[in-house]
Amino acid sequence: MHQQVGHRHSIFCILPPDVLLDIAQTGTEEEREAALNTLAADTTFRTLRAIRLAAPVAATAQAEAAVLGQKRRTIYDCKNRMPEPGDQVDQARAEGGPATGDSAVDEAFDGLGDTYDFYLDVLNRNSIDDQGMPLEGYAHYGRRYNNAFWDGQRMVFGDGDGVLLNRFTIAVDIMSHELTHGVTEKEAQLIYRNQSGALNESISDVLGSLVKQFKNGRQAAEDADWLIGEGLFVDPSHGKALRSMKDPGSAHERDRQPAHMRDYVNTVEDNGGVHINSGIPNKAFYLAATGIGGFADKATRIWYAALRDPRLKPNAKFVEFAQLTFVNAWNLFPEGREAEIVRNAWEQVGIEWGSQVGSETQRGERREIT
Amino acid sequence: MRIQYKVDGGFAYFPGLHQPVTIEADELSPEEADKLERLIEAAGFFELPAVSPPPPGAADHFQYTISVTTPERSHTVRVTDPIGDHHVRALVDYLEEKTRESRAAP
Repeated sequence: MHQQVGHRHSIFCILPPDVLLDIAQTGTEEEREAALNTLAADTTFRTLRAIRLAAPVAATAQAEAAVLGQKRRTIYDCKNRMPEPGDQVDQARAEGGPATGDSAVDEAFDGLGDTYDFYLDVLNRNSIDDQGMPLEGYAHYGRRYNNAFWDGQRMVFGDGDGVLLNRFTIAVDIMSHELTHGVTEKEAQLIYRNQSGALNESISDVLGSLVKQFKNGRQAAEDADWLIGEGLFVDPSHGKALRSMKDPGSAHERDRQPAHMRDYVNTVEDNGGVHINSGIPNKAFYLAATGIGGFADKATRIWYAALRDPRLKPNAKFVEFAQLTFVNAWNLFPEGREAEIVRNAWEQVGIEWGSQVGSETQRGERREIT
Repeated sequence: MRIQYKVDGGFAYFPGLHQPVTIEADELSPEEADKLERLIEAAGFFELPAVSPPPPGAADHFQYTISVTTPERSHTVRVTDPIGDHHVRALVDYLEEKTRESRAAP
C-alpha cells in the first residue's frame, strides 16, 4: 500500500487520499495530524496511481487536484553545524507556518515557494520530480560558509562570511538555481564537469533568473537585469552580483566569465570551469529571450524542452544542446521566428552547426542528432 | 611536514575566491604543530582515498584538496561537502581557520 517513513497510523493507511484530505481539514487535532502524516509520507503520485485501481475516478481526480499546486516546504536550521543526511536537524519552518523573523529561513522558504510557483505556472511542472516532491532547505549551514549547494536531495545554504559575501538566501535566484539542479538531475543528468557541467550550471542560472523575472511581475526580457546573486557581495564596490547573463564577465571585479566560445576557459579548476564557461550558454539564452521579446516564457519552454529531450546525452557539448534548442523551438513554434532567433543567439556566442540540420528539420524530416 | 590546502567550486566560484594555503609545520609553534599532526593522524590521512566523489547529482559543492608531504611520504586527498568523515571535517575546519588567519594577517 503506502510506502511510509516515520510515524505510521495503521487505520489511516487504508484510507483513500480524498478521505484523508477531508479528515486533515475537519477531524480532531489527533486525526488531522495522523491524516497529514499519512498524506505527507508519500512524496509522489505513485500511491495515487496505485489507489486509482481501487478508488472511484472522481475521488482520485479530487485528490490529484488537491495535491497539484500544493507546496510542501520545510526549512531546517543547521545552527551553524554541518549535519549529514540522517542527522537530527531542527525544523525552523514548515508549510503553512508563519514567518519566523529569521531572514535566512524566511528567504529560503519564500524562494522555494516562488520557484515552485514558477515551475507550475510557466512549465506545468509539479516540483523537482514533477510529482509534488517536498522541498527541503537547510539554512545556517556551517560557520561563515560562503556557499549554497544541492547535495543530490536537499538544498543547503550558508550564511556567508559577512566580510566578502552575505547570506546565500539573499537573492531568490540562488534558491531557484539550487532547486533547478534537482530538476536537471531528474531530466538529463548532465555530467558536472567541462561543457556538460557548464550547461548544467547555465540551466540553473537560466531558471534562477526567470524565477526572479516572474516574481518581478513577469518582467519583459529587455527590462530584466539578468544578474545572478545580486546583493551577495557585502561591499557593493566589489560588484553588484555574482554573474551577468547579459554581459558575462562584467558582474564584479573578478568575474572571468566568457561570452563567446573563442574565450572558452580550459582549466582543471571548478570541474573544468563549470561556473566560468556557463557564461557562454547564459549569453545565448539572454540573446534568445530578448530576441523573442516580452516575458521570456517561450525561451524558457524551448530550453526546458531541450533539457527533457531524450536525445540530450549526459555528456552533451554546447553544440549538441544548442541543436536541441533549435529543433525544439521549431517543434513548439513552427509558425514563428523563434527557431531562427535561437539559432542566431547560439551563432553570436560562437556555436554553429551545419545548415543541413536546419533545412532538413524545417522540411519536417526527422533527423537523429548525433 | 608541509600541508597544501586548496578549495574550489561552489555557487559563487570565481578564480581567486579562494587562495591556496601552504603551512610549514616547522614554522608553527610546538603546540600548533602538535595539534596539526594529531588532526592528520586522527583522519588516517595517508590511508584516505585520493578522491571521495560527491553524491550523485550534487552541484555547487566546495571541493577541498589537501596535500601532506613529509620526508618519508606524500599524499593528496580531495573531498567535497558534506564531508562524511568527522576527522577529515575537523582537519578541514582547522585549515579553513588557518586560511582566514592568513587572509587577515597584514
